[in-house]
Amino acid sequence: MLNFAGMTAMIGILLGAYVYQFSYRELPCTLCLLQRAAMVGIAFGAAMNVRLGPDPRHYGVCLVSAMFGLAISIRQTLLHINPFFDTQTAQPTLEATANPPFGESVMGFNLYVWGVVIFGTVILAVGITQLFRGQFEPRKTEPEWLGRLASTGVAMLFVVAALLTVTTFMECGFGDCPNDGSWNWWIFR
Amino acid sequence: MTVTFGLLAVSSYVLWRRKAGWGWSLVMAALVLGIIIFTRDVDFSAKLGLQL
Repeated sequence: MLNFAGMTAMIGILLGAYVYQFSYRELPCTLCLLQRAAMVGIAFGAAMNVRLGPDPRHYGVCLVSAMFGLAISIRQTLLHINPFFDTQTAQPTLEATANPPFGESVMGFNLYVWGVVIFGTVILAVGITQLFRGQFEPRKTEPEWLGRLASTGVAMLFVVAALLTVTTFMECGFGDCPNDGSWNWWIFR
Repeated sequence: MTVTFGLLAVSSYVLWRRKAGWGWSLVMAALVLGIIIFTRDVDFSAKLGLQL
């Protein structure tokens, strides 16, 4: 159930990012998309636990994804932490607006700062979950409703991942995603 | 990026429809692809002003 909660939490965050993206009309940058990929990876690890039963390998997928996401969100936070550093010219400036935060903030934090919190929390949660060895023992047959719930959750994950594939293709094609804010997304033309 | 999400979508699909455990290797491939994109984007010396 804990894994199911983790999986649905990640799916919820990804859908929330979509709502944010469309309501503010802000296109995600490369680093934002990579953080979303890391969240899908975490959700996938949890989904494997839900669908196939708890296994250290599944938690490994969560941990590797969370470390990947944490590195990216820390990098993006550091990029915007000093407004006097112009990332375009890689030079310090006297204007505090040289390196403004990317996007609107949510509850006081920008999304990449929330990323640091979320990925750190996932690493902590996976670590704590590992303390309970009983989960790795062979289980009795699980109730049918639980299997159906797990299947629905994984289907939701697939829908979100497929949606991300389509919107990323519309935004970046098969090449690099530009970071200069002049993206060629025909939806918003 | 599209290929990264495509791999994640395929792995989710095989887990959902076929209960296949090998989908995790696709996720790892997606993450490796993500790391390549990330390291290309970082360009540490120029963008962070670091002397490595």
